[in-house]
Amino acid sequence: MLLFIALIPLLGALLPLWAGGRRGRDVSVWTTAAVTAASLALLLWLSPVVFDGVVLQANWPWLPQLGLNFTFRLDGLALLFGLLITGIGLLVILYARYYLAERDDLGRFYALLLLFMGAMLGMVLADNLLLLLLFWELTSLSSFLLIGYWHSRADARQGARMALTVTAAGGLALLAGFLLLGHIAGSFELSTVLAAGETVKNHPGYPVMLMLILLGAFTKSAQFPFHFWLPHAMAAPTPVSAYLHSATMVKAGVFLLARLFPVLADTDLWFYLVGGTGLITLLFAAYAALFQHDLKGLLAYSTISHLGLITLLLGLSTPLAVVAGVFHIINHAVFKASLFMAAGIIDHETGCRDMRKLNGLFKYIPWTATLAMTAAAAMAGVPLLNGFLSKEMFFAQTVYQAAAGGEVHWLLPLLATVAGIFSVAYSARFIHDVFFNGEPINLPRLPHEPPPYLRAPVEVLVAICLLVGIAPAYTVGPLLAIAATSVVGGPLPPYSLAIWHGFNLPLLMSSLALIGGALMYWQRRRLFRLGDRYPPPDGKALFERGLNLGIAATRRLTEGLENGSLQRYLALLIGVALVAGVAGAWQGGELTGDQPLPPVDLLSLLAALLLVLTTGLTMLWHRQRLTAIILLGGVGLIVVLAFIRFSSPDLALTQLTVEVVTTVLLLLALRYLPSDALPESMPSRRLRDAGLAILAGIGVAALTWGGLTRPLQPELAEYFLATSLPGGGGANVVNVILVDFRGFDTLGEATVLVIAALGITALLTGGFPLPIRSSPRVVSIEERWPLLLRMGARPLLALTLLLAAYIFLRGHHLPGGGFIAGLMTALALATQYLAGDFRWTTAQLNLDYQRLMGGGLALIGFTGLVSALFGYPFLTSAFTHAHLPIFGDFEIASAMAFDLGVYLVVVGAVMRILLELGQANAEENGWKP
Amino acid sequence: MLNLAVTLAFTLLGVALLLTGWRLWYGPTTPDRILALDTLYLNAVALLVLTGIRFASALYFEAALFIALLGFISTVALCRFVQRGQLFE
Amino acid sequence: MEALIAGVIGLLTTAGVYLLLRGHTFSVALGLALLSYAVNLFLLAMGRLTLNRPPILGSGQTDYADPVPQALVLTAIVIGFAMTAFLIALALRTRYETGSDQVDGVETTDPAPDP
Repeated sequence: MLLFIALIPLLGALLPLWAGGRRGRDVSVWTTAAVTAASLALLLWLSPVVFDGVVLQANWPWLPQLGLNFTFRLDGLALLFGLLITGIGLLVILYARYYLAERDDLGRFYALLLLFMGAMLGMVLADNLLLLLLFWELTSLSSFLLIGYWHSRADARQGARMALTVTAAGGLALLAGFLLLGHIAGSFELSTVLAAGETVKNHPGYPVMLMLILLGAFTKSAQFPFHFWLPHAMAAPTPVSAYLHSATMVKAGVFLLARLFPVLADTDLWFYLVGGTGLITLLFAAYAALFQHDLKGLLAYSTISHLGLITLLLGLSTPLAVVAGVFHIINHAVFKASLFMAAGIIDHETGCRDMRKLNGLFKYIPWTATLAMTAAAAMAGVPLLNGFLSKEMFFAQTVYQAAAGGEVHWLLPLLATVAGIFSVAYSARFIHDVFFNGEPINLPRLPHEPPPYLRAPVEVLVAICLLVGIAPAYTVGPLLAIAATSVVGGPLPPYSLAIWHGFNLPLLMSSLALIGGALMYWQRRRLFRLGDRYPPPDGKALFERGLNLGIAATRRLTEGLENGSLQRYLALLIGVALVAGVAGAWQGGELTGDQPLPPVDLLSLLAALLLVLTTGLTMLWHRQRLTAIILLGGVGLIVVLAFIRFSSPDLALTQLTVEVVTTVLLLLALRYLPSDALPESMPSRRLRDAGLAILAGIGVAALTWGGLTRPLQPELAEYFLATSLPGGGGANVVNVILVDFRGFDTLGEATVLVIAALGITALLTGGFPLPIRSSPRVVSIEERWPLLLRMGARPLLALTLLLAAYIFLRGHHLPGGGFIAGLMTALALATQYLAGDFRWTTAQLNLDYQRLMGGGLALIGFTGLVSALFGYPFLTSAFTHAHLPIFGDFEIASAMAFDLGVYLVVVGAVMRILLELGQANAEENGWKP
Repeated sequence: MLNLAVTLAFTLLGVALLLTGWRLWYGPTTPDRILALDTLYLNAVALLVLTGIRFASALYFEAALFIALLGFISTVALCRFVQRGQLFE
Repeated sequence: MEALIAGVIGLLTTAGVYLLLRGHTFSVALGLALLSYAVNLFLLAMGRLTLNRPPILGSGQTDYADPVPQALVLTAIVIGFAMTAFLIALALRTRYETGSDQVDGVETTDPAPDP
């Protein structure tokens, strides 16, 4: 059930898109509202249990190996946030319907809003750190889209980008912090983590982890010095601001602090970091708010300031401070949402948000003005309104800290009062500047009362302000109690929610703030002059400069590394591989193992000598290309001999055929590539490359030596040797592995071959270079097709085909099989093209090689599917023995059909590749395909 | 008697390999090198046959047969390239 | 014997890497061929060097060479051919598009004489 609370909006996000496109605005409002109401109803339905103190949990494993699970919990804190998110969300949905203009795409707006709501709900309900982070990032992303909703406006795009950059960077820090926390606590499940508070706080990694997590929380909650993105996010449509900056997005940071309070809080580091940051933010933003001329700008800075207040309260760490903080979360959400909405109405009705022009609106919109003034009074902390209660609790806590904490802390109540004065002053400015203070100046239009539905959400919220302010214990009391309990993680000390606590220090501070604020506003002209001379620093310019610097640096780095030269990339790649290898070798360990080694015989030594000679000459003479091909043939032959020597006849046969095919291929290409190339690089470059190459060679030689001098783990070989005959029905283990045990790999390899052949066809179709006219004809003859060759090649075809058939059939038991037979057949066919007239040969053979390889691949797949038909896994093989009169005992294995497929693929692909190059050869003589 | 013959043949084959290698290196013309490669194939055939006799295994004879058959094709291709400048006409 | 094989594989790698780092496409193809010889031999060698005991069952012997690296190398040889062929086709197409047979598509002939 819990899962659905978050899932409903996430899935429901599709509905308004569908409805908006097809049915019009009203349908999309009602679907969105219905989706939200469904989530809210679910929450309310589950809430009675939570009020009884039970923590609801739900659990679906997702990636348990990584500690990532779909686990959700509904405790007091989650319930409080859930109600705020869905409740205010519902009001915002209604408000946005009348706020957004006809030309705005309402479907998209609601879809994004629901996406964001679902992400927020998922975050507050998550019971797994990684899941929480996932939703956290989703809120960053969806808020980016919401802030940039009017994407044709440059300021909206910039604001959205800035919000995303700052919050996503914080998210990255948070990820690191969470990974550390999960590592320290031994689990990513919140239930476990919350219980591991003592372990975590005493761990040496605690300071680093705390700072990383705080970085995430502070960027999200716009704490100083990361606050600068929030005022620029005001480019969003006002419903978005009302939603994101009152109840949701920016509250995510303080939510996280509250959520992890039992694990992280109550240390000196926490006190100074969280409390200090909160205090600075509270003061700085309250001061800056006073100097904003933009209506929404004032509200933005006041939001930052109030977030600072909540952070400070959480930083103080006492249970009562937590109660005050949670209380202020509720109150701020309510009055700030209504204030944003009221500001939106004024903007909507007048087309202006500049407080220097907006004056005396009271007589045009008296009812809206009354509502806005009430909300602003709540923000200022006027008695009988909700803001007064939590602010008074805040003052009480500062006094308590001062009493308990020695000399330094007497500053705290003083600064709190100063912040209160500022807060009253900017609230007074909001009220007086907008609704009184003379007549409006040059407004685009004079306002009227808005349509009742636009005003209704504000009315609801202001009513809550009043209800909570007058009778707190009966309205918000229980919710506050369970929320604070789950933050503190234990029973709360006694406290009373009441307006009147008698004459005491907090009341004095409240009165001082009210009077001081009024005085300060009265003297505002002097203050504004001061503000103009020393304007509050603008984070935006700094941010942009930092961003540009970062982009320039990365661009320089990229351009330095990536200059477009493939040679350079390869050299870098090999260099890095070498460094990695050397670093690995540095760890120590014995190079030579303890395996006894057989002596070397003279003939092997001689063959090795020949290999050294041919390899060395290939390398040295690589620019004389024809010679290099001949020498490469020599290298290949000796490798074939090595394969024979080391008991791998299958490999020898394959290598031999491939060797010849490669020679033919290189010769075909040589006609189109300059034959005797000039040296293309400087001696210094050649020296560098030689150095790299020699080091690579030494590395590989050392690796080989190390491997060869150690005993082999024989399990795998023994398994295949033992099961080959009973399991696969073949005595040639290599072939059985290929067509049976690892048949799926072979299928993949056959596919690669086909893809290569098709790729070559695609590369060379219509893009063939001109032949090199000066190609060497060392001993020129005029006869095109020498008689001896022509006549000799034909019986060779028959002979080779026969041999290929033999090799193919016996492949399961003796060296051979589809690969080798296919290569041999291809060679025999290529010889025909070589010896005779290309045109004549093509006509005589009349083979469609592309179809051949396609058919082969299909046959392989079909063989696999047949076994699936009989209920066995894909590519299971079966075999049986049959007795034929003349041939004797005969074995029929399904692997045979598989091998036939391999055979066809090899023949088709190799011939396709050779002819693709050879065709151009023939076309020079007027041949047309 | 057979042992002695085989040992002698191995020794001579070793010398042949060395000489082929020298021809491959020294050249001096491309046809010389093509011939050297062809000879190398022949040497390999001889080597395998001898090894087969030494170890009394039929496996080597087969490999020798293949090399004899296929080595020829690469010589043909090389010769065609040298003589005509292209393989398929 | 083992030292010999290790040395040979090292040399093949050296030659292969050096040629891979050249600028002409043809040299790169040669280098790739040499490097695949080295890799194939290396893989085979990781099954240890076994003389005269091919993994063909029932020829009257009890121990055989490791068949697993052999099966790996067999397909690697064929794929290696496909890769070389693809590289050659790429080289031809590059020459058609840019008129050069350089890896980077530019003619950078060095006036310095061949040492």
